[in-house]
Amino acid sequence: MDSKIKETILNPIFKGNPITVLVLGICSSLAVTVELKGALVMALSVTIVTALSCLVLSLLRNTIPMRVRIIVQLVVVAMLVILVDQILKAYAYGIDKQLSVYIGLIITNCIVMGRIEAFALGNKPWPSFLDGLFNGLGYGAILVIVAFFRELLGSGTLFGLRVIPQSFYDAGYMNNGLVILPPMALILIGCIIWVQRGIQKDLQEK
Amino acid sequence: MEYISLFVKSIFVDNMIFAYFLGMCSYLAVSKNVKTAAGLGVAVMFVLLCTLPINYLLNKYVLAPDALIKGVDLSFLSFIIFIAVIAAFTQIVEMVVEKFAPSLYGSLGIYLPLIAVNCAILGGSLFMQQKDFSNIGEAATYALGSGVGWFLAIVALAAIREKLAYSKVPAPLKGTGIAFITVGLMAIAFMTFMGITI
Amino acid sequence: MNTNGNVYTIVYTTIIVVVVAAVLALAAQGLKSRQDANIKAETISQMLTAAQFATKDELSKMSNDAVLDIYADKISQAFTVNAKGEKVADLSTERANLELMDALKGQNSAMKKGGDLTLPVYIFDKEGTPVTVVPVYGAGLWGPVWGYVALDKDLKTVVGAYFDHESETPGLGAKITDDPAFRAQFVGKKVDFAGEAPLSIVKGGAQGESQIDAITGATMTSKGLSAAIVTWLKAYIPYLQKVAPEGGMDCCKEGESCEGMDEGCGMDCCKDNNETTN
Repeated sequence: MDSKIKETILNPIFKGNPITVLVLGICSSLAVTVELKGALVMALSVTIVTALSCLVLSLLRNTIPMRVRIIVQLVVVAMLVILVDQILKAYAYGIDKQLSVYIGLIITNCIVMGRIEAFALGNKPWPSFLDGLFNGLGYGAILVIVAFFRELLGSGTLFGLRVIPQSFYDAGYMNNGLVILPPMALILIGCIIWVQRGIQKDLQEK
Repeated sequence: MEYISLFVKSIFVDNMIFAYFLGMCSYLAVSKNVKTAAGLGVAVMFVLLCTLPINYLLNKYVLAPDALIKGVDLSFLSFIIFIAVIAAFTQIVEMVVEKFAPSLYGSLGIYLPLIAVNCAILGGSLFMQQKDFSNIGEAATYALGSGVGWFLAIVALAAIREKLAYSKVPAPLKGTGIAFITVGLMAIAFMTFMGITI
Repeated sequence: MNTNGNVYTIVYTTIIVVVVAAVLALAAQGLKSRQDANIKAETISQMLTAAQFATKDELSKMSNDAVLDIYADKISQAFTVNAKGEKVADLSTERANLELMDALKGQNSAMKKGGDLTLPVYIFDKEGTPVTVVPVYGAGLWGPVWGYVALDKDLKTVVGAYFDHESETPGLGAKITDDPAFRAQFVGKKVDFAGEAPLSIVKGGAQGESQIDAITGATMTSKGLSAAIVTWLKAYIPYLQKVAPEGGMDCCKEGESCEGMDEGCGMDCCKDNNETTN
C-alpha cells in the first residue's frame, strides 16, 4: 500500500476527523446521539452515502461545468439517497421506517458535500471512494462516543438495555435530564476536542 | 399584527440555531471574527429569503397532490426540487461574492458552497411545507425572521469568540473546542424562550 | 473540451435534470404498488395495535396478507362522518378491496380553516364488544405525527392508542412510537366530551382522567401530538356524542354500590349515577 492511500485512510479517523477538526456534520451529530442505536444507524448510512457519492462524482469530475457544480453535486447525492429510500420502502419496509427519519439529515449532511468539494472533485475514483468511506467512519466514531455518554448518563441504558442497576436509583442516583438535550451534546463534543488536542498537540490553535 | 408575531417568533422562539440546531457546521466554523460572520449571515439570510417563497409557490402550485394535473401527486420530488432551488441560489451568491467581495470569498472558503447544505435553509423550506402558510407573505416573513435569527446568532457568537481571544483558555480547548462549549451554554440560556406563545 | 462554455453548461444541466427526474419517476412508478401495499398493511397494523388485538412487534413480523386477513376478520364497519357527526359514505371492508382513508393531511388543514370534513371511523368487533378506532394527525417538531385512538363501546374509555411520526428525534420525540410505557398511559383514560381538551398530554404531572404525562426532553413533540389529539377528537365529538349509549357507561368509585352499573365496567366500580351524565 503506498503512503498516499494510507494517509487517505488514516487521516479522517483521527488527525483530520470531520467533526472535531473539520467541523462538518454537526447538526446531525446533535440530533441522533441521544441513543446508541440511532447513532449507529446514522453512522452506517452516512458512511455508505459519502463513499458512493464521492465515487460517482469523482467519475464525473472532468465533465462537470464549474458554474453549476453545486447543483450537480447535490442533485446526484439527493438522487442516490431518495432512490435507496424508495427501493427500501418497497422491499424492506421495516428497515425503511427506521431510516426515513435520517433521509433529510443525510442529504444535507455537510460531510458528504464537504468531501466532494474538497477531495472527490480533484482526485481519481478509487482514492475518492476510500476518502468518503473513512470520513464516514471517522464521523461515526465521534457519534458513537457521544451517544455512549448521552445514553448512559441521560437514560441509564445502553442500546436500550438498562446498565445502571436499580440499587443505584434506590440509593438516590438520578438520570441527568440535561444530557439528553442538544446543548449537552455540544459541550460533550467540546470535551472530546479537548482530549483529542491534548494528545495531538499539533492540532492546537494559537 | 400576525406578521409581526410570526416574525418575532421565528427570530427568538423558533431560532434556527438555538431551538432547532440547524446550520451548525458553518455557524461554528465561520464565527472567528465578526466581519466574516456578518458576511455569511447576510448570505444565509439572502438565500433563505429568496428560496423559501419560491419553494412555497412550487409546493403549492406544482408539487402538492392535484396541483398541476388532477390525480398526479408529485410530492416525491419535493426534496430534490427544494434542494435544486437552494443550490441554484447558492451558486448565484457564490458568483456574486467572488466578483464583488474577493476578500470575503477567500475567508469563507469552502463554507460558501456549503450554504447549499446548510440545514437551516432546507429546514426552512421543510418547515414551511409543514406549517401550511396561507399566503406567500407569511412564507416570506417566516423566511426573513429565520434569517435574521441566524444572522444574530452567528454575530453574537463571533463577538464572544473575539473576546475569548484575550482569555486564558486551556491550550487544547482554544478555538473550536471552546466555541462548542460556548454555543452549548448559549443554547441553554436560549431555552428560556422555549414554548412562549406570542 | 471546454467544460465552462454556456452551451455545454446548459446542455449538461439539462441532461442531468432529465436523467435524475426520469430515474426517480421510474422508481416511484415502478415501486408504487408494492409501497402502497406496505403502507396499507402498516396503517392497518397501527389500528389493530391501537385496538389491542396484537402488539406492534407481532404485527410487524407478519406478512402484509396476514395483517389484511386479521383486519378483514375483525372489522365490522368502516365509514366516514362529517363535522356534524352524520354518516357520509361507507368504506369497503371486503378483503379484496379494502378501503382506508389516508388523506389525513387534507382533513387536518380543513379542520383548521373550517372546510368540509370527511372523517373516517373504523369499528372493530372485539369478542362481541364494538371498538371504535379514529385517527389523529398533526405537526410534531420536525414533521407530521399521527396515530390511532381506540375507544370502548361507551365511546369514552380509551382502549389503546398507537402513534407514529415521520422524522422526530430518535430517543426523544420518537418515543411516542417506541416507548410502550408512554402509549400504555392512554389505556383506561376517558375522553372528556365537554372539556376544552377532550384528551391531552401535559408536562409534569398529569391529573384527572383525561390527561397523559408528556415525554421528558421532547416538549415540542409532546405538544404537537397533544394538539393533534385535541383537534381531531374535538372534530369527532358530535359523532361520538350522537352514538354514545344513553347515560354513558359511568363506572363509579371503588367501594360504592354496584347496582345498575354497565356491564363494561370492572368489578371495582359502583352504583349508576345518571345525574352526572344527563
